[in-house]
Amino acid sequence: MSTNYVIETKGLKKYYQGAVEVHAVDGVDLQIEDDEFTAIVGPSGSGKTTLLNLIGGLDRPTDGEILVNGQDISQLTENQLIDFRLRHIGFVFQSYNLIPVLTAKENTEFIMLMQKTPKAEREARVLSLLEEVGLGDKLNSRPTQLSGGQQQRVAVARALASKPDFVLADEPTANLDSTTAANLLDLMAQLNKEEGVTFIFSTHDQRVIDRARRVITLEDGKIVSDIRQRS
Amino acid sequence: MVIIIAIALGLWAGVFASAFVVGMMQEKVESIIRLEMSDFQIHHAEYRDEMDVKMVIENSQQIADDIRKKDGVIGVSERVLANAMINSASKNGGVQVVGIDPAKEAVVSEIDEYLDTGAYFEGMKRNPIYLSKRVAEEYNLRIRSKVVLTVQDVNREISAASFRVVGIFNTNNGPFDEGRVYVRHEDLESLVGTHEAHQIATLLDNHDSAETVATHLAAQHPGLEVLPWLDLATGMRLIIEMTDTYTYYIVGIIMLALLFSIVNTMLMAVLERVRELGMLMAVGMNKIRVFAMILLETVMLALIGGPAGLLLSYLSISYFNHAGIHLATDVYEDLGFASTIYPDLDAGSYLGVSIMVVSMTILAAIYPAMKALKLKPAEAVRKI
Repeated sequence: MSTNYVIETKGLKKYYQGAVEVHAVDGVDLQIEDDEFTAIVGPSGSGKTTLLNLIGGLDRPTDGEILVNGQDISQLTENQLIDFRLRHIGFVFQSYNLIPVLTAKENTEFIMLMQKTPKAEREARVLSLLEEVGLGDKLNSRPTQLSGGQQQRVAVARALASKPDFVLADEPTANLDSTTAANLLDLMAQLNKEEGVTFIFSTHDQRVIDRARRVITLEDGKIVSDIRQRS
Repeated sequence: MVIIIAIALGLWAGVFASAFVVGMMQEKVESIIRLEMSDFQIHHAEYRDEMDVKMVIENSQQIADDIRKKDGVIGVSERVLANAMINSASKNGGVQVVGIDPAKEAVVSEIDEYLDTGAYFEGMKRNPIYLSKRVAEEYNLRIRSKVVLTVQDVNREISAASFRVVGIFNTNNGPFDEGRVYVRHEDLESLVGTHEAHQIATLLDNHDSAETVATHLAAQHPGLEVLPWLDLATGMRLIIEMTDTYTYYIVGIIMLALLFSIVNTMLMAVLERVRELGMLMAVGMNKIRVFAMILLETVMLALIGGPAGLLLSYLSISYFNHAGIHLATDVYEDLGFASTIYPDLDAGSYLGVSIMVVSMTILAAIYPAMKALKLKPAEAVRKI
């Protein structure tokens, strides 16, 4: 039953037209269950980011289905898809992508503003999230006043603020040093274990791969291995 | 900051250009009314076409007295007019002679205030003549110089009398000063042989009512021609309309420059924030919100730059409204415009330009906002 999966793709394809047709994702069948801590790995150009973009509703497939909690998001209109992203998916980007003029608190809060969450609930959730990611004392700091690791923690708090069904993280540790990356991974693992947050990463980083409980390897847009490992 | 300065300067330029033109036209209108025409004039129905000294206004004294009693009338001056030959020791030529009651004329026109040398009909009992500096220079005349005025009287006979220069005026209005001399009306009346005036000039406390009052009087006196200053000053209506049009063009060009400047700056602002906008779109900010956000940002900038520009405009207009802007005198004086302009603008125009700038700003934000909407979030978030 597909409804048991948070994410399920069926025959997912993404082809780019050009002088030579590129098969970025080529017939991927994938099921991700609730509470998973999954890394999608593979060499550059293997289709990791494209797969993540398709799952995240940032790109449209050439063919196939993407079911999120049983709903085929490839059938949604542009506006429905935007609303779907807002309410069901959390994003962590490689370059943090925080809004420079907003404080850590405001960067975390604005998604809930878009969701029209009541103010009291927003305030409480922002404080709790930033406390949880270890930035309870940096509420009013702007991104330029935070280290790279701290900025990525704010990005994680922001991704969780909307209470998403799952969080997609595109190379979240790529810009971090090893200690900071390890701390961030500890945080995400803790959120996964204690709060049941489903994380899906695309990564090259062996440290992330080692911490993942499931590693899916892509090559030329196809899944070549799918290994569950102990964390 | 750049866009705020652009808006402030754009608004200032638009407002100041308007104030300059308004000030220039106000000076011109004021000069026409207070020096050349008054608010309205009454003539014999055919006088202005024929310029015949016989075409006087019958019962001019009575008509003038009746007008004086009307509400809103500041002063009435009955004028006797004649074209004359002026002979000085060095030169002969043609002039227009205006016969006036100096006291009444001083209420209606400002001619007494432009006294350069001598006196305004004071200190000389017999046949004083008050003439412009240009005429004085042309005919080599000084105070107390003697001139002879020769006119054709009402019987078509040549009549002449000698006058002495009592005062020399200088209005800085070339066309007005060219060949115009004033004498007392009784002196000119005896010269041309009439006791009636050719022209009744009236000054009102509200220039805007000139046309209404003139129309009303014209109905009362069907045999006379009653014309407001706008119809008396040849081409003035056209000049005012053209000036308004030019002002719109000037302000329009400034606004267009402002528009492109804001489009450029906001476009840069969008391009610099591709990753941020991509992130916002990725996490669920819909297109309407992205569009509104960029529009709102621009409007906020306009709301900061706008008041700054308005303040700058108000300060500079207030300053130059007192100090004046001195222009190259010869050119403007020859055209009959004042050589010093006092910019002025009413509150409504400030509001009008402000609304125009804010509208331009909103218009200017549309293209960058559309550009932002075309971003693909998946690509934008990874943009370096």
